[in-house]
Amino acid sequence: MITGEQILKTVSGLLHQGLAAAGVSFLAPVVDRVAAAVAMFLGISVFVMFLVWMERKVSAHMQSRIGPNRVGIFGLLQTVADAIKLTIKEDIKPVKRDKVPYYIAPIIAFVATFMGMVVIPFDRGVSVQDLNIGILYVIAITGFTVIAILSAGWSSNNKFALLGGFRSAAQIVSYEVPLVLSVIPIIMVTGTLNLSAIVEYQAAHGYWFTNPLYAIPVLVSFLIFITSATAEANRAPFDIPEAESELIGGFHTEYSGVKFAMFFLGEYIAVIVSASVAVTVFLGGWLPPLPMLGFIPGFVWFMVKLVVVIYFVMAFRWTFPRLRVDQLMAFGWKVLIPIAILNLLLMGVVELFLAKGA
Amino acid sequence: MGAILRYFKDIGLGLWNLFVGLSVTTKYFLTMKVNTQQYPEERLPLPARSRSMIKLIYDGEKDQFNCVACMMCAKACPNSCIKLEGVRMPDGKRRMTTFKLDFSTCIFCGYCVEACGFDALTFVSEEYENSVYKRGSLLQDEHAMKWARPAHLAPKPEEAAPVAAGASAGA
Amino acid sequence: MTDLLLSQIKAGGESQFGTDEYVVNLGPQHPATHGVLRLVVKLDGETVKETMPVLGYLHRSIEKICENRTYPQCITYTDRVDYVSAMSVNLAFALATERLMGLEAPPRAQWLRMVFVELQRIASHLLWMGAFAGDIGALTPFLYGLRERERILDLFEMTCGQRLTYNYIRIGGVMIDILPEFVPKCRAFLDYFETKVPEYEGLLTYNPIFLERTKGVGVITPEVGINSGVCGPSLRGSGVSCDVRKQQPYLFYDQVKFKECLATDGDCWSRYRVRMDEMRESVSIIRQCLDRLEPGPIETKLPPVLKAPPASEIYSRIESSRGEMGIYLVGDGTAKPYKAKFRCASFSNTFVLDQLTRGWKVADIMAVLGSLDMIVPEVDR
Repeated sequence: MITGEQILKTVSGLLHQGLAAAGVSFLAPVVDRVAAAVAMFLGISVFVMFLVWMERKVSAHMQSRIGPNRVGIFGLLQTVADAIKLTIKEDIKPVKRDKVPYYIAPIIAFVATFMGMVVIPFDRGVSVQDLNIGILYVIAITGFTVIAILSAGWSSNNKFALLGGFRSAAQIVSYEVPLVLSVIPIIMVTGTLNLSAIVEYQAAHGYWFTNPLYAIPVLVSFLIFITSATAEANRAPFDIPEAESELIGGFHTEYSGVKFAMFFLGEYIAVIVSASVAVTVFLGGWLPPLPMLGFIPGFVWFMVKLVVVIYFVMAFRWTFPRLRVDQLMAFGWKVLIPIAILNLLLMGVVELFLAKGA
Repeated sequence: MGAILRYFKDIGLGLWNLFVGLSVTTKYFLTMKVNTQQYPEERLPLPARSRSMIKLIYDGEKDQFNCVACMMCAKACPNSCIKLEGVRMPDGKRRMTTFKLDFSTCIFCGYCVEACGFDALTFVSEEYENSVYKRGSLLQDEHAMKWARPAHLAPKPEEAAPVAAGASAGA
Repeated sequence: MTDLLLSQIKAGGESQFGTDEYVVNLGPQHPATHGVLRLVVKLDGETVKETMPVLGYLHRSIEKICENRTYPQCITYTDRVDYVSAMSVNLAFALATERLMGLEAPPRAQWLRMVFVELQRIASHLLWMGAFAGDIGALTPFLYGLRERERILDLFEMTCGQRLTYNYIRIGGVMIDILPEFVPKCRAFLDYFETKVPEYEGLLTYNPIFLERTKGVGVITPEVGINSGVCGPSLRGSGVSCDVRKQQPYLFYDQVKFKECLATDGDCWSRYRVRMDEMRESVSIIRQCLDRLEPGPIETKLPPVLKAPPASEIYSRIESSRGEMGIYLVGDGTAKPYKAKFRCASFSNTFVLDQLTRGWKVADIMAVLGSLDMIVPEVDR
């Protein structure tokens, strides 16, 4: 029975042996971290390529058509072709741009979202760095995208990009609140912000949804979290800032080629980060659905659950119309936040009075 | 109090309708049925009446075009795409000498085919890939438009071509 | 007001009303303007202050061309006036010419014309639904609508050979009789289509996001509608009964049972409901027509050169998919019309756009424009 832990131990053992042979064993902690970061970077990049393909295939089959099927078997290499196309595109820059924010913005968008993946546990003990403030760290990092968007909007010297940037920043900032509020009920029960510990709690006490007491508050939390996560990633139905059928192209109007690719991929990685947190916190992370299926390694279950959650995020994009900007804000502030607070109260009542001794 | 109840009812109803919408798209996603014809690997045949490409019918037995240069097609054409000339042969019959149809202005309305009373023009539904590299090649003469009708496509007497009276009025 | 707007555009947007307003161009090339419509919009932040449509980007001088073509040759140009519902314009011109010259098509041709025009109405509304939903942001109903539309176009192709510019409905009848397999295929399509309409409604009609985008947006009150020249489903959404098929029945519309689809609120959602109901009514009309088809001639005998009576004129109107399509013909005794004017529904619906969008947001311009079902070739001809 292969587990992610065993793979991790084997690989790090090999690395340490190599270092010892080279006589630089004191570099072991550094090499560990760097190797983990590089592995995560490469793994997530490949997964993003897979996701782009998946989005196109999912949207195509929802619309009774075939998606990409020419480049590579089932069109799997389509994203590679798109990436090559974007890198060889002409780099169009507005003349009167503000140079420093203009170049920093896509880098921040790309890098900051990657940083969020650092704390996600893919298997027991397998995460790049298991911080005790896991959830807090992730939510704080997703706030970095606001800087990227505002820089992009401002530096483009384009009043429409600026407007799009403002709208997008307002949207992200206001949907952070329900995002946090929806995770707090879980934290109340588990008593820890550490993502691995949350999964261990679920391993010990069973899934949230199997417990009749917790089922409803956790379901409401899950729905609010997924909604806020799609809003955070600027995806439909909250994609007014980058909507193609509006007159404004959004904050990334003036970006072309690799810089646009970085924004585009950054959006997908934000989706991956949010979905990973959702899977970890609400759906049990790397736990198998039934104990008897435990022979399949944990990270496979994590991937499966992740793909299912991301399928729903994609289905939202292709099924629902777009919300207008003021309706979007009204929805966030007047619907999601009150429901999240009520849910918090409900979970508090449940935890305090009903779950004693459970 | 009523407002609060309405608030929750709206949210519940909205959630249910969103779910109904999701079920429609998920159903299509799961059935994976596509309506795509993967051209150019699959070329489905067009219906017999498709107004694809106009051809001049060449009678193999008599070794001549059916066209007698009566000019009815040229008069019927709304865009004056057809230019043709004919001569009167020694035996008294007219025969066409040159026939030019400018496909860059042709709108494939079918008036020329309908106006012809001598079964000289027809639409050939199989030939629909007519892109060219030079615009000049769209001005086709009788050699490019030559088409010998296969035996199985000879017109049956009761399914004669439609007669558009009045279409051949003077241009 | 519009002169001021034009001078502002020329002066580069320098406005005396305040520095917060600016003039924006929803240019001719735009995914949401249903063709090459240009809208010059004066915005104050996000709120629309004034909308001025600039027309003419698709002007092809069809009316002038028709003055130099014989009446049957003009029918080929009517296909291009509104290429989304070409059968309706074919029919409008054919009926106008027949009334001008005192001709009448045989009964079988009339029933066939009704079948095809109603099929065309369904096809046009399917395309409208897709475009409207796409403007609002739901990108999937467009593909569903086109999938159904492809089947209707297959029926058309089987009959007349073309999928967009049919040239099928001629003066005095129709071009060619339907094939024997047309009727069973048409019935099969209608049965299939009736199962699909609830799906579109499930996706859109009560979707809370769609409701928020369209309910209460772009309200046309009956008075405003009638005074601004709105016609067709856009006016029926406000509760005004204006269906030409009911008021001045042509073909055999007085012999089939169908109800005129009305709604009461006059907002985008009502117009959407009216068109969805119209699709259902068209299905029932087609079924009744197919039941009453009898063998017979499909075209009256026409003289070889069709000449209009001297000094004659006629205004003849039908209900096309977008509203009242009127043809005004002036005959002068020759084979070519002296004047052929196309009164198109989209053109007269354009005027109300400015009144509907003042004070609303930019995103609402798209919703209103989509719900008015504007087809630019019809506007510009």
